[in-house]
Amino acid sequence: MVNKKQVRRKFILLAVLILFSSGLYIYARVFAKAWDSGLALTYPVALRILGRSGASLLGMAVSATLIAVVSLAFQTITENRVLTPSMLGFDSVFLATQSLLVYFAASVGFMARVFANPYGNFFVTTGIMLIISMLMYGLMLRKDKNHIIFLLLFGLILSSIVQSFTNYIEVLLDPQQFQQLKAVTTVSVTNMNERIILLAAPAMVLLTLLFVRRSREFDVMLLGENNAKSLGVPYTRQVNQTLFLIAFGMAVTTALIGPLTFLGLLAVNIARELFKTYRHAILFWGSILTSILFLVLGQGIVELLRYAAPVTVLIDLAGGAYMIILIMKEHKL
Amino acid sequence: MIEIREVSQAYGVQDVLRQVSVSIKEKRITALVGANGAGKTTLLNVAANLIPAKSGQVFLDGKNISQMENIEIAKKIAVLKQTQHLSMRITVEELVAFGRYPHSKGRLKAWDQEKISQAIAYMDLQKIQDKFIDELSGGQRQRAYIAMILAQDTPYIFLDEPLNNLDIKYSVEMMTILQKLVRELDKTVIIVLHDINFAAAFADEIVAMRDGRIIRQGEAPSIINPDILREVFDHDFHIVRVGTRKVCVYFQPQDMIPQADPG
Repeated sequence: MVNKKQVRRKFILLAVLILFSSGLYIYARVFAKAWDSGLALTYPVALRILGRSGASLLGMAVSATLIAVVSLAFQTITENRVLTPSMLGFDSVFLATQSLLVYFAASVGFMARVFANPYGNFFVTTGIMLIISMLMYGLMLRKDKNHIIFLLLFGLILSSIVQSFTNYIEVLLDPQQFQQLKAVTTVSVTNMNERIILLAAPAMVLLTLLFVRRSREFDVMLLGENNAKSLGVPYTRQVNQTLFLIAFGMAVTTALIGPLTFLGLLAVNIARELFKTYRHAILFWGSILTSILFLVLGQGIVELLRYAAPVTVLIDLAGGAYMIILIMKEHKL
Repeated sequence: MIEIREVSQAYGVQDVLRQVSVSIKEKRITALVGANGAGKTTLLNVAANLIPAKSGQVFLDGKNISQMENIEIAKKIAVLKQTQHLSMRITVEELVAFGRYPHSKGRLKAWDQEKISQAIAYMDLQKIQDKFIDELSGGQRQRAYIAMILAQDTPYIFLDEPLNNLDIKYSVEMMTILQKLVRELDKTVIIVLHDINFAAAFADEIVAMRDGRIIRQGEAPSIINPDILREVFDHDFHIVRVGTRKVCVYFQPQDMIPQADPG
């Protein structure tokens, strides 16, 4: 049985650490930057930087949350602990959709307007991504979902195909379109697509609630397809709906902050180690907090070190190493 | 009462079940026997609504099962497949608690707790109820799963080859438990069996299948007959009596083949 008091204490600890990291991040943004540039840190200047840092923090929190819930749900429906949607090329599908959109925007005036409008772009891209990923993963996962190596290989090949395809489309673009494309697709933690945050934040809240509400069913699904069905969980419907939500979540976070390949893997597995439970009601929140902590702390350190390396490098380094350890452990290599 | 009416099922172009009709008697152990690919497991899956039938209907207590909610079916039928690897680390008690899901939707009440303790006690698991499933022996694990099904508290229990990967000792223990469930708790057990001798020794009814059809069904002793078994398994059987039960000898070393009466 899970000790409720202990769980609450861990939640509080994580929250305090997040507050501390946010403080570090804001300190790095406001004070360290001002000293570096030799700018006098007057009140209005500080306020403006603070405002922008706040928006960045919100963006990071939104993305980190989405990545955490999506990764946990994905691991449950695929019955593995090693893969996350990012590793199967969900974000490269996003890039490909964007380039296709730019390419066709040239020939149809209406599309150009859709593409230029951040919301219109967001909706069209998300829609297309949903269709593509439902098709691909629906087919793939139903057939061979327990075969991790096969799924990894599939993700690898899919990513390379889609990336080559994106490159090809980019060659066809004229310079102006290319600029347009790069503006939308070169988002990262430091270069967020802040224009869609008003859309992404509510979407995040909604998605998180939808995922968390299914916690009990996800718990049962951990027993495997047969047992879950025998216990009355409509397994296939549940998997399809979850895949849909995952694709949606990936679209939102990739549009907002770009690919963060290993964050989900790190957050979910560390939350599992930390809370030592299978209960999704706890694991969802645990993963969310861990994920936010990693991203904000990492970014704070990076800013404090004057951008020695982007935070994604840090996370990928830690996450990649962790994934190798996980694979070796699970397959007893 | 479970009634299967003219059910057909196919994987691709391969017919697995052809117009199968059978009704399952209550408070009995019914064994589905037959060679590999005869359609036993598919019949079990269709009867439990785990896979939809291509044509035909299954009636559960008079209701068409395909029109019932999954959760309603789960209150009537519990299915145990061959034990698989679990991707999580849980204790025996937590596993058994999952059995209450159809009734409690995960919010356990005092009544559910009581059912869980009863199931654990019935399967004699109190001493190991806080152990993790992956620390148990094959037989203990199987018993933990049965306890989960008992906590599910369904009149029907379906088992798909539960004896695979079990030692002889645990196989016999398992079948004895199932017999107890039928006699003491009035359960109806349907079980897919590979070994005809386990069916002969423990089942009340036998449904014999071949090529997606039911060849014979009836009381166990009436099915354990050399001619019927040859038809079902495409192999020669020699039947001997041990006590009140019949035992099938199906190996064919020269010195074991019964000679025609020397006359």
